[in-house]
Amino acid sequence: MPALRNKNCNYISNKEIKITFDGKSYSAYEGDTIASALLRNNIRLIGRSFKYHRPRGIYTCGIEEPNALVQILNEHNEPNTRATVKRAYEGININSQNRWPSLSFDIGSINNILSPIFSAGFYYKTFMGPKGFWKKIYEPLIRRTAGLGKPPKNFRSKSIHQNHNVDILIVGGGLSGLIAARKLINTDNEVLIVEQDSFLGGILKNSNKIKKIDGKNVFEWIQETEKLILKSKNIKILKNTLVTTYNFTNHLIALEDKYVGKNIDINKSELTLHKIRTTQTILANGHIERFISFRNNDLPGVMLASSFEKYIERYGVVPDEKPVIFTNNSSTISLVKSLINLNCKPCAYIDSRKKKDIEDETKEYLSKNNIPFYPESEVEGCEGNKKVEKVYIRNINNKILSISASMLCPSGGFNPDIHLFTQSKGLVKWDDKIISFKPDTAFQKTITLGSVSGNYEFKNLCNEINKKLSFLKANDLNIDIETNIRDDFSINELWETKTDKMSKWSKSFIDLHNDVTTKDLKQAINEGYDRIEHLKRYTTNSMGTDQGKISSINSLGIVSKILNKKIAEVGTTTYRPPYAPLSFAAIAGRSTYEYYDPERKTPIHNWHIKNNAVFEDVGQWKRPWYFKKNDSETMHQAVQRESKQTRQTAGILDGSTLGKIEIKGKDALEFMNLIYTNAFTKMKPMTSRYALMLGEDGMIMDDGIICKINDKHFIATTTSSGAPKVLSHMEEFLQTEWPHLQVYLNSITEQFTTFNISGPKAREIISKVFTDIDFSNEKFPFMTFKSFNYKNTQARIMRASFTGELGYEIYISPKHALHLWEQIFHYGKEFNLVPYGTETMHLLRAEKGYVVISQETDGTVTPLDLNFNWMIGKKKKDFIGKRSLTRSDTAREDRKQLVGIVPIDKSQFIEEGQHVLERENLPSKIKTPIEYLGHISSSYHSPNLNHCISMAMIKSGNKLKGKKLFVSTPKGTKNIAVEIVSPVFIDPENKRLVS
Amino acid sequence: MTKILSTDFVTVVQKDYLQVLVRGNGTDQFNQIINKEISINPPLKNLEIKSDDKHIFAKNSFDQWSLLYLVEEDYKKILKFIENLNLNDEILASDYSYGQVYFEITGKNKNEFLNKLTNFDLRSKKFPVSTMAQTLIARIDCSIYNLGSKYVITCNKSFEDYFQKRLKDSANLS
Repeated sequence: MPALRNKNCNYISNKEIKITFDGKSYSAYEGDTIASALLRNNIRLIGRSFKYHRPRGIYTCGIEEPNALVQILNEHNEPNTRATVKRAYEGININSQNRWPSLSFDIGSINNILSPIFSAGFYYKTFMGPKGFWKKIYEPLIRRTAGLGKPPKNFRSKSIHQNHNVDILIVGGGLSGLIAARKLINTDNEVLIVEQDSFLGGILKNSNKIKKIDGKNVFEWIQETEKLILKSKNIKILKNTLVTTYNFTNHLIALEDKYVGKNIDINKSELTLHKIRTTQTILANGHIERFISFRNNDLPGVMLASSFEKYIERYGVVPDEKPVIFTNNSSTISLVKSLINLNCKPCAYIDSRKKKDIEDETKEYLSKNNIPFYPESEVEGCEGNKKVEKVYIRNINNKILSISASMLCPSGGFNPDIHLFTQSKGLVKWDDKIISFKPDTAFQKTITLGSVSGNYEFKNLCNEINKKLSFLKANDLNIDIETNIRDDFSINELWETKTDKMSKWSKSFIDLHNDVTTKDLKQAINEGYDRIEHLKRYTTNSMGTDQGKISSINSLGIVSKILNKKIAEVGTTTYRPPYAPLSFAAIAGRSTYEYYDPERKTPIHNWHIKNNAVFEDVGQWKRPWYFKKNDSETMHQAVQRESKQTRQTAGILDGSTLGKIEIKGKDALEFMNLIYTNAFTKMKPMTSRYALMLGEDGMIMDDGIICKINDKHFIATTTSSGAPKVLSHMEEFLQTEWPHLQVYLNSITEQFTTFNISGPKAREIISKVFTDIDFSNEKFPFMTFKSFNYKNTQARIMRASFTGELGYEIYISPKHALHLWEQIFHYGKEFNLVPYGTETMHLLRAEKGYVVISQETDGTVTPLDLNFNWMIGKKKKDFIGKRSLTRSDTAREDRKQLVGIVPIDKSQFIEEGQHVLERENLPSKIKTPIEYLGHISSSYHSPNLNHCISMAMIKSGNKLKGKKLFVSTPKGTKNIAVEIVSPVFIDPENKRLVS
Repeated sequence: MTKILSTDFVTVVQKDYLQVLVRGNGTDQFNQIINKEISINPPLKNLEIKSDDKHIFAKNSFDQWSLLYLVEEDYKKILKFIENLNLNDEILASDYSYGQVYFEITGKNKNEFLNKLTNFDLRSKKFPVSTMAQTLIARIDCSIYNLGSKYVITCNKSFEDYFQKRLKDSANLS
């Protein structure tokens, strides 16, 4: 039988929809949440609890819900969805969670029978031993049983981010937020209102507490206000958007659900994460009702009083026609009035306050309507099979009475919703009048309005807003609010009722989500966890996804009573973002999959694709790693082929990623002498030089080739990944250490595409491409360069090589790069010119003994360690790192030094990263540290020498040349016997280089 | 010119502009040298731009300026201009023409659209007309020039494909 409908409710449509819950179909209305739809069908049992698998129902009507978490099957299998928030739509398919085989018969509920052993700290006490159990038994078992729902599979979120910059952000479009917005209409402030619901109004739509505003009924007033806001030029509204995070500098994060009440479209973005930067934040996010702990306060059918009223007023569903109301405050009379208006009547009204403290108006109303009234009484507990069937009342005479009822509505008072305020680092203080914490001192530009500031009196609201927003110089508003209830809030302190325990399995819960009982709190304190932060972690109290929204203050109340302290002295735990669960997909936004990291491509990229390049990521660059000749060719085969061909005829590398910096000014020469180790003074114009850059610690930072145009104009190349770092290093020294030098720098990395062509036939090929240039050794010797005009663009060719072969580096405008690349291939065809990738580049340079920064070096290597003494301008007065090179540690001879290594048995291969040792064998079990001399920094199979060649950094390497040592292997204890040699394996006389 | 995307609220067009990056000390002599070459005085205030139908001239920082050619110009002339500037020791001019890509963003929702990709405050009171900024858009370094009815955004050419895709993606997923 369907539940009674409140036909006066304006906020729910008459359009019927079909929903499915646990395989059964039900009718609901468009606008229903899953919870209101299920209540409409008298479904009370929604799920099973986290630890004890106890039956659970719907406890609240909003984001604070600890129980009613469900799995949505027909979206992306979304688990842990709050039934009290998620809007139902035609065809939505919902499953209950954490139960097997069914919701009503759940094997896991055996945990409830065993619950006496699952007390606070169970995990910490139980999983200590025996040794080995953790890995093999406990952890796999816990992993299998952990969690509630099932994670989504094969779902690619398309959630996006949207940034906002505004003057004022109003969090909450309820009564306070709307009054504040009306005050700001058509002012100079850009205002954004963020409302978690799909419509404005908040408490105005959730209860019948307010009768009229400015003589209009609340529905009209909300409509009028929304129209005024939409007409204004300075205020925007974001609905269905929940502010989850309040960071420093007034930066707030809010999550918008774009598919409220409809099935998501997987081709569109389903969520928007709003990142809001504001000058002023107005928090008007209201309050949250808290519960009261009593025996079996978790049974389906127990629902907070204001939530019950919200279902009536906002969703037009009356969950029960004769509930029991249990309160410690004056607010619940509003629910009674809502029920009476619908010809329903509570079967009991239990008020823990003394009779004299209860408002006369309430007493008269209850009496007039013949509602059984229990002043100075409390609910001892309730019982029933998977639902409330009996409620036990401890009356004024301390006698227990039982009444039959199917719903029980407790109200333990209200907590100002201070989560966001405390996230902003605002300080809170205890208020004895409302018996809760409320905002005290703001840390940022934050204003709290209405119930979040602890003001529960509607008639004072306008004054509060006028006063707190007076600095904005907007006109004062005078809004008359007429209420249906007495406006002065009254409450007495009640956290837990006295229990006459009737069964071992009766429990009085303090945290419904994590199944923490009040007994657990007491036990934790007895065990010494009397600090609130320790106690929270030991018991997991308020650590669920609801973050204890309805119960955390209650736990403080109970703890304070046990410790005999005031709540203010016990303090609060820290409220951390997010306010409500936020999916990782929303946080990641579009920075996933193809947009995980920005990609950089060279102008030749598409040619590489067409020619079967396999790419590797070098920073953000996509660089060809190697080119596959055919599908069956392996990487090893491709690299061996490319290397061999380059040394036999010619190969070409796309080196566009190389960093390039233009340096110019009257003091450019002095600057270059200071920033690099090399001496540039005697260097001839239009020549180039391999150069090293050190950090102030004397360690190698970067390398490159310097082209000297004249004493006032240089072009430096850098490593591909080091380009931005080198430019900012240069700028920093120019601006901070040497401001007297007149030097300017421009990055020209992207302005020139770079090709490196090398091999014995390189000259012949390039001469055919650039017919006007004389490439002979005499006219174009090694380490010189020429600038020329190519199709009306600037171009430069430098004779240099990173392979040890005759080589040229071509710098060309990106506009003509692809054309030129193809031209080179056109003329190179007869010489079997081969494109090669970075792996071959590394192999070729290793054969020649050239180092790679960050492969042979690691931030602890000096030029002397690499035998680069020749690169240090010893006569120079100063350069960065010079003083550090004379320190005893950097000058000592037993530092790790660069050597070459070859296996004695030439058929063996040495792996990179392996240790170099003096021992032939390693013990099968290493019990004491084994001294090692260094490590293999590079290792390749040389196709030109037909054996493995390696480079290594080893202690006193220079003295060990010619000696036999050993290199470890990834597997086994037998090391590879090797000979220490010079790191230059090919052409040590440089005949090829200068040919 | 290539149309990247067009909706009722925003249009993105890629343009083939040319650009020169100039560094110098901003003294009167520097201004005269520049003015002699192109008859525009360099903007004096940081992040200020001077623009006409043919140029955007922006002061990127205390010693750096960008000169964008909005209409087709003889490239040889630009190279000559760079050469002439570089005759002066106190100036470094570099050709940025083909190493950068240029996008024009127009439409009434251009701010909202761009704020999907950048947290930069595009409101006119924080980013007035005739100013520029260097900021991250779609997580890459970009320069953005506010010409009132449109923004011109430039970034390194290596990001061209990625940036185009991100612009289209943002428009599709609005």
